[in-house]
Amino acid sequence: MTTVTPVAPEWRTKSAKQTRLAFGQALLEIAARELRAVVLSADTQDLLGIRPYIERYGDRFIELGIAEQNAIGVASGLATTGLRPYVCGYAPFLTARSMEQVRNDIAYANQRVVIGAAASGVSLGVAGGTHHALEDLALMRSFPNMTVIVPADVDEAYRATLATLDIDGPVYMRLGGRAEEPPVTDPEAPFHLGRAVQLRSGKDVAVIACGALVEMAVRASDALKREGIGVRVLNMHTIKPLDRNAILAAAVETGAIVTAEEHHLVGGLGGAVAELLAVEHPTRMRMVGMPDTFATVGPTNAVRAKYGMSAEGIVEACRAVLESKSIRS
Amino acid sequence: MHETREALLKRLEGQARQIRRNIWRALRAGGSGHAGGSSSAADILAALYFHRLCVRPKEPDWPERDRFVLSKGHANAALGAALAQAGFIEDSVLDRFYGFDSPFGMHPDIKVAGVEMCTGALGHGLAVAMGMALGARIQKQAFHSFVMLGDGELHEGSNWEAAMAASHYRLSNLTAIVDRNKISQSGPVADIIGIEPLGDKWRAFGWEVREIDGHNMSEIVDALDAVPLHPDRPTALIAHTIKGKGVSFAENTYLWHSNNVNDEIYARALAELGEP
Repeated sequence: MTTVTPVAPEWRTKSAKQTRLAFGQALLEIAARELRAVVLSADTQDLLGIRPYIERYGDRFIELGIAEQNAIGVASGLATTGLRPYVCGYAPFLTARSMEQVRNDIAYANQRVVIGAAASGVSLGVAGGTHHALEDLALMRSFPNMTVIVPADVDEAYRATLATLDIDGPVYMRLGGRAEEPPVTDPEAPFHLGRAVQLRSGKDVAVIACGALVEMAVRASDALKREGIGVRVLNMHTIKPLDRNAILAAAVETGAIVTAEEHHLVGGLGGAVAELLAVEHPTRMRMVGMPDTFATVGPTNAVRAKYGMSAEGIVEACRAVLESKSIRS
Repeated sequence: MHETREALLKRLEGQARQIRRNIWRALRAGGSGHAGGSSSAADILAALYFHRLCVRPKEPDWPERDRFVLSKGHANAALGAALAQAGFIEDSVLDRFYGFDSPFGMHPDIKVAGVEMCTGALGHGLAVAMGMALGARIQKQAFHSFVMLGDGELHEGSNWEAAMAASHYRLSNLTAIVDRNKISQSGPVADIIGIEPLGDKWRAFGWEVREIDGHNMSEIVDALDAVPLHPDRPTALIAHTIKGKGVSFAENTYLWHSNNVNDEIYARALAELGEP
């Protein structure tokens, strides 16, 4: 449905270094398995690495230009005809700008649309506040019917994208930007929607993390283990529906919870965990994430670290929650 | 048996009158509602549901059906009337407008048979209908997608994103009908934010345009029968209408964009509309 430009060799490789490109590669496999799949772009063909898809499946590709509200509305209309749209775009624009289209046309109308949202968090750190998406999880998880997934690395992004084939409803897939996500998940493990993956065991404190913070949480756990502190790490790749059992088990068994995410402390993973624990099992908590300010400009990991979104920040949060636990007991 | 044109127009005018009667009936049931924008759309809806749209009321999800999206969702009373008269929903639903747990609130809900999209927040329907038209093309289906827009609704910029993209993709299987009743919630559209020259705007966005009298059934039928107006372009029908059409005290006033409807007002409205 559009002019196909020549494909650069690097897009042909199967070695995506970023979750956003893993999403684009997974679309090739999805297209082969699901004839009803269609891919939409908001002038973001390279951002999500979909040129190989366009080359192979040009008749199932629709470029909609720099018009995210329209892209979401069109996706909804396509879905009503039985197609399975995958919308590619920038997280800040597909969520904040198009929020009413996502709410009404996708979530309220309960249409089977998958939103592939690249450049989330501060993954485009140098781009500045207009291009950061630090409120998207709060927005997206507030909508009924919506599934919200935050892959931790490239392999998980690929597997989670394939898993959307079986999700009967709208999906928000949060993807990264230019920074590479270090591998942290088991590439052979199947992806179970809504089921957290325990990456480290421990009885003293549990870190519940998503996205790029999962790998940092693992490093924090390993560092504290050397001091004799057992830190359980849960990769909470699905923010909605939330794995209540894994969270409650962690709270009961450790009595101290740290959440870690690349998102405002308002309304994201930390908020979701706190909402659950406040009702079901009040537990000492600390939250690692973006404080109530717009992030500074800079390289992604430097920006993350400035606000405590780092292995060191997670270690500090673990110490703080352990201290509060000992004061209480 | 072939229906003569005279008989066709008479039948459609009768359906339109019945839609208007049902609009007021629904608004009385709810105690209030959007009489103005519902009544201006009644003739077009009658021509769509009882002449132009290829739909199956007893099989509302039939994949090959023509699509109609009421983007100006506040005219839901008119849509509900048309769907009831066409047999998609029970007639008694019209007596439960705005009721607790009713399938019909003030704005359309996709869960209701015959309703193609949840609308009411303005500036959404054109993009959705464009998606339906693209879906038809991708799946090689012959159905046509219609969307009705309010003229005040055209203030929403998202309409023009969709207008630009629909002509880029040469979606001749998409028709936008503008209910040009010239009045929105606070007053005349021209005083709020002017939208003229409206035909030129659509033409500039690559659409084939025809302007019609939205209360002249002959002109409406001719226009709908002529769609698509161009083999490579989407069609825009600008239907000049009267807000509140059919009931003198509700005509041409923003006061009846939405207003309360009690038994006395209902009786006066029905007296003016005449028998079905």
